[in-house]
Amino acid sequence: MASSSRLPILRRISILLKAPPSTTLRSSLPSLARRFFLRKALAPNVSPWIYASSSRFCSGPLNLHQGSQGPAAIDYRSVLSEDEYHRLANSTIQDLQEKLEEYGDIVELEGFDVDYGNEVLTLKLGTLGTYVMNKQTPNRQIWLSSPISGPSRFDWDHNAQAWVYRRTKANLLKLLESELEQLCSKPVNLS
Amino acid sequence: MLRLMAKRLLGTASRDIPSRPLQILPRLYHENVIDHYNNPRNVGSFDKNDPNVGTGLVGAPACGDVMKLQIKIDEESGKIVDACFKTFGCGSAIASSSVATEWVKGKSMDEVLTIKNTEIAKHLSLPPVKLHCSMLAEDAIKAAVKDAEAKRAKMNGTLKGADVKSG
Repeated sequence: MASSSRLPILRRISILLKAPPSTTLRSSLPSLARRFFLRKALAPNVSPWIYASSSRFCSGPLNLHQGSQGPAAIDYRSVLSEDEYHRLANSTIQDLQEKLEEYGDIVELEGFDVDYGNEVLTLKLGTLGTYVMNKQTPNRQIWLSSPISGPSRFDWDHNAQAWVYRRTKANLLKLLESELEQLCSKPVNLS
Repeated sequence: MLRLMAKRLLGTASRDIPSRPLQILPRLYHENVIDHYNNPRNVGSFDKNDPNVGTGLVGAPACGDVMKLQIKIDEESGKIVDACFKTFGCGSAIASSSVATEWVKGKSMDEVLTIKNTEIAKHLSLPPVKLHCSMLAEDAIKAAVKDAEAKRAKMNGTLKGADVKSG
């Protein structure tokens, strides 16, 4: 049942997203984003979940120029080239990993752990919480999840030569420095 | 006899060694997330050309999440009388937007702007890596309200213009 009704649903999805039906898979897709589920309003006794392959839906950043409907869209591809982005983001994250490992030796916190795998940096501070930092290549951003400030998304600011969260103007490294000092009672220099 | 003893000793010894417990922490969805996943509230679509409907569309398919959240405003009171959503993404994103549609119903547009992603995340016990989903839901609410207000302003502006012309 799902396969026979798949095509009209996919067309509807593409209309919803205003993307052309035939799109090519972007090699930069994060592995987390490979499965997409769309809930269709079906009769209650029909299985509602339709698994759609990711190759149909990845067409680059969604164009949100639809009047006043959403936040202004930026074509991130023109802001920073992908290679440049990877170079900057990788060096920032790897640098952070080293500095955090050193910090872990100083702090001696129960449950302190720094882990880097699949381009995701996870910093565990035992019972104090967990930080997760990852690259978001399509947007040219670094995403951070903090137990203090919650989720934030940092863009590369060419003028400041730093990763900045546009909404709060926060600097990634400064934010981490101040939060870690707050949590672990010991200062850290991440620049 | 000795061999038997040795065997017995080895046998008991191997039984005595406790099997090393798996150190993998299972990543479980909180029951609220599972509830919203299995019984999502308010899935659907309103006519986006309806002047009393505000539509918020946030996210990008390449990032893995897209949320469309729509609110229906009562003309006189300016309150949100109905809401619906369609989300394209992980279980946490679906649950976050489902919760958002539940929470906005019956409230005024100013009130729903105070809904914070931290509240949604707490309600669903979202793990650190999924906090971004709750933020997207908050953004969807804000985008829907912004659209609704823009439509109302436009409508009022048109009406005012009409009055001036006829007067």
